[in-house]
Amino acid sequence: MNTAPAKITLAEWEVRYEHCGANRSSVPYVGPLSRHVRDGDARLPKLRYDNSLAALRLWNFVLSEEDRLHEARLAGKSIVGTMKDLGTVPVIAYATPNLVAFYPDGAWWTPCIMEDSTGLLPVADALGLGENFCPVRAMAGAFVTRAHFPIPDALVCSVGATCDDFSAIAQRLEGLGYPIVWWEIPHRRQPSRGEEAVTLATSCEAPVALVRHVSAELQRIREILQELSGFPINDESLTRSIRKANRIRTLLRNVRQRAFTAEPCPLPALEVLLAEMLAIHFCSDQAEAEAVLSDLLRTTQARVARRQGVLPEGAVRVFWVNPVADLRVMNVLEECGGRLCGTDFLFGHAIQPIPEDIPPMEALARMALADPMVGTSEDRALGICAEAARLGAEAVIISRIPGASHCAYEGRAIKAIVQERLDVPVVELEVPPLCDALMPALRTRIEAVVETVRETRKSCL
Amino acid sequence: MLVAGVDAGSRAVKLILWDRSKSQSLASGMLDQGVHQDALANDLLDRLLSQAGCSRGDLRGVVATGYGRNIVGFADRTITEITCHARGVRHVLPEVRTVIDIGGQDCKVIHLDEQGNVYDFSMNDRCAAGSGRFLEMVATRLDVSLDRLAELSRASTDPAAISSMCVVFAETEIVGLLATGTPPEDIVAGVLNSLARRVAGMIGRTKDGPVVFTGGAAQIGGLVTALEVALERPVIVAPEPQMTGALGAALSVPQ
Repeated sequence: MNTAPAKITLAEWEVRYEHCGANRSSVPYVGPLSRHVRDGDARLPKLRYDNSLAALRLWNFVLSEEDRLHEARLAGKSIVGTMKDLGTVPVIAYATPNLVAFYPDGAWWTPCIMEDSTGLLPVADALGLGENFCPVRAMAGAFVTRAHFPIPDALVCSVGATCDDFSAIAQRLEGLGYPIVWWEIPHRRQPSRGEEAVTLATSCEAPVALVRHVSAELQRIREILQELSGFPINDESLTRSIRKANRIRTLLRNVRQRAFTAEPCPLPALEVLLAEMLAIHFCSDQAEAEAVLSDLLRTTQARVARRQGVLPEGAVRVFWVNPVADLRVMNVLEECGGRLCGTDFLFGHAIQPIPEDIPPMEALARMALADPMVGTSEDRALGICAEAARLGAEAVIISRIPGASHCAYEGRAIKAIVQERLDVPVVELEVPPLCDALMPALRTRIEAVVETVRETRKSCL
Repeated sequence: MLVAGVDAGSRAVKLILWDRSKSQSLASGMLDQGVHQDALANDLLDRLLSQAGCSRGDLRGVVATGYGRNIVGFADRTITEITCHARGVRHVLPEVRTVIDIGGQDCKVIHLDEQGNVYDFSMNDRCAAGSGRFLEMVATRLDVSLDRLAELSRASTDPAAISSMCVVFAETEIVGLLATGTPPEDIVAGVLNSLARRVAGMIGRTKDGPVVFTGGAAQIGGLVTALEVALERPVIVAPEPQMTGALGAALSVPQ
């Protein structure tokens, strides 16, 4: 496998896989990507992939999660659905040996990956969760059809400073007979004058009173999970779990740093997006998530050392805000001459290290409060500005998820603040789960961003 | 030296044959867009070449722009309509820093720097809000031709309040207004005011200076007036506004 880095089609991966030889037997979950197409992932033949074994391992790991969950259940483990939780409760769940954390919200990608061959959205429609809701409504469909993930043994969901539509979807789910343990995440307000406050991992501040409140809420969840698992979740096991999570977060930060800054670009946008997803709940296997990211980091480092990339040098440096509902759009960015130089996929806090020098529950509470979605849009925009400037962004693209309540106005607010502070082109795109018919329009917007930056480069010479 | 620019838009294909050495148009024309977009563009090219007394062999380069740009098989290169409109405007009105382009499918605001290069732009969403298609719907619903919209809006004494820019919702509002006896001229004026306010909102951080209006909708006089009111400044209609993209494409043929 000494082939130069490149982006290849699924068909090309099939040929390449046949030549992987002994390499494949030593890697868990690895198999040809076409097996996922046979399982219904109809979108895969339309995507372009990184040609490294590390990327193949990443794809297989992500696409095999449902199998892993079924195996975990057969092995006697309990499955905890951690809804509307971007990286906090899973760390508590993994403090015990017999719980597996799972992120049911991730089902929002199913209609894209499977091109809605499972009909999850029509099921959601029938539940009263129509197109005006976030695509996460597919999750409700998946609970009804039971054709995807096993129904979790416990459902935990944060509520309060979370998306209105998600809360409505989760409440509908509870109404269907799936009991949910709710915990409150309050809006992250600015500390009042003289109020005791702490600085969070994302550099914003929160009043200590809020940290205490969230810590107490998480303590309640800890006790429920402890009872479910039958194993104690004490500070010692939590500290160990935090250390493991931090190892994964460090790997991810290192992959991102190289992917965003090295020239030529060593890792495609799509694989960066996929890798970032591992931060939320480790794709239901913490140890393998660490191994997958270690492999990806080694591959990325080797490419950087050899000055090899997957894109031509000089690609336009784009900071991308929000995950896309249709993964194909990440390919399109690169086909138009752009590359990722930074991302804010709504869970930047889950990539930051969890403090290890304070009591674990307080540390987790601080991380939960650092979630960009629990603060103001201005806070989030300022964080985006700081990251985009640090990473040398030449343009910012804000993708909107149709129906997602936090996207409805936030994009406009972020755009205005970024334009004012960075003076780079900022474009908003709406990306629905399947946008084949919209691709010419999306492509025009992205190409125009690339052309604009290239014009600016020329006029600066 | 003969070059060509093609703007394969959602409603029409526009083409310009440009004599680069004389910096002038030799021929230009447009056809309604259809299913066989490449064939339409080819027909238009042949017609204009014949009109100009030239042949395909005389062409030294072709740039295509517009939504259908990738379907124009005889183009050597494609460039987005944002860049092409900017280049077309820079050629005819070099002092302009803000371009409003309302075409069949979308609406764009393009900001130019001191050299006339694009430094930022905004576009409407994927719905037809603020586009020529929206105005077509209004004309159809009121049973008038597009070119009568300006005349109707001038006759309005009490423009109606139209709150939605979504084609579907706005159509519902128009049906409601007609049912309550609102005169068509007041409906048209209300629609144009509403569209102009939306475009004004897209302009955002524009610098002072002239604004130029391109695209087919720029030919609707009432909309120009509504934009001037909403923007509180003069709006210049580009010469042959629907051809600006094709002109920019022709000017973008590499030397």
